[in-house]
Amino acid sequence: MDANSIISSLTGKFPEDIYDASVESDIRIVAKVKPENVVEVCRYLKEDLSFGHLCCELGADYPDRNEIETVYIIGSYDHPVVITMKALLPRDNPEIESIVAVYWNANWYERETYEMYGVKYLNHPDLKPLLLPEELHGEWPWRKDYKGFPNKTARNLV
Amino acid sequence: MDEIEQTNVEQNDVLNVGYTDVPGTMLTESNAICDFIKKTKIQDVLNWGRKNSLWFTVNAMGCCGVELLATGMAHYDTDRFGIIPRNSPRHADVLIISGYVTRKYLPALKRIWDQMPAPKWCICFGDCAISGGPFYESYSTRQNIEDYFPVDVYVPGCPPRCEALIQAFVELQKKIEAKKDKGTEY
Repeated sequence: MDANSIISSLTGKFPEDIYDASVESDIRIVAKVKPENVVEVCRYLKEDLSFGHLCCELGADYPDRNEIETVYIIGSYDHPVVITMKALLPRDNPEIESIVAVYWNANWYERETYEMYGVKYLNHPDLKPLLLPEELHGEWPWRKDYKGFPNKTARNLV
Repeated sequence: MDEIEQTNVEQNDVLNVGYTDVPGTMLTESNAICDFIKKTKIQDVLNWGRKNSLWFTVNAMGCCGVELLATGMAHYDTDRFGIIPRNSPRHADVLIISGYVTRKYLPALKRIWDQMPAPKWCICFGDCAISGGPFYESYSTRQNIEDYFPVDVYVPGCPPRCEALIQAFVELQKKIEAKKDKGTEY
């Protein structure tokens, strides 16, 4: 299947949930997904369209739009296409369903996005900080308005 | 900071072992003998021995750690200066901070430092250890490492060469010989 037929299959199955779908190049699809049904969309992608490889899952902060994006990059071994799906979440209370039940390797991606952006993944099996120490938990250091950077001048520099 | 508290508790447990049970031993709580020796020529002999057996921990923290490992290999033959890489901090005299110190790693590094028996010295190896390097102003980097460790020698470079590390050891040996090092209180 090429990119256009995948888009038509997705939008035909989920006309409400998939919007702004476009073909970026021959091998890249960009689409936006409603956060409520992201698990069903991922399950359809994996089981019916054989997109079995979750390459990456990440967050992105947009303070001017007051939104945090959760980005899913999903590849396939059968089709030469990579899908980039984005779910837009409100910035003050970002919550989305976890997709660990579909893609097991989303576990650590979601833990990292949680500790860096504060995106709360519902029904995640073990949602705790992955890399950061305890003292940084709750500060969400990758958000654009994070203010906790060290301002002590290193004395060795001067 | 829980790690550090735990280390302190462990150290107190070690100190509370009854050495008086061993026959032929005396226990003193004052530093009088040690302080007296520091004023005499015996300290020079002690320092001569200490400066010629600077064993360092193989604690490769970043990319400078590769140079650290290479220094310990056969090519540079650091044994001619009495410098030997040791895998356990309990056998080592010199802690080489060879990378950026993150907030998460600092308690572990302090624990390594506490595990090393005195007299012990500290070398900052590379730009990251000195100032944070490219990770200066990161949310997870600790700056001003000399607040946490008594650093004797700084080695700038990104990364410094193995010869620079050997040079640092030679400088440290000179400091120890001149009784200017921070590892011992004179």
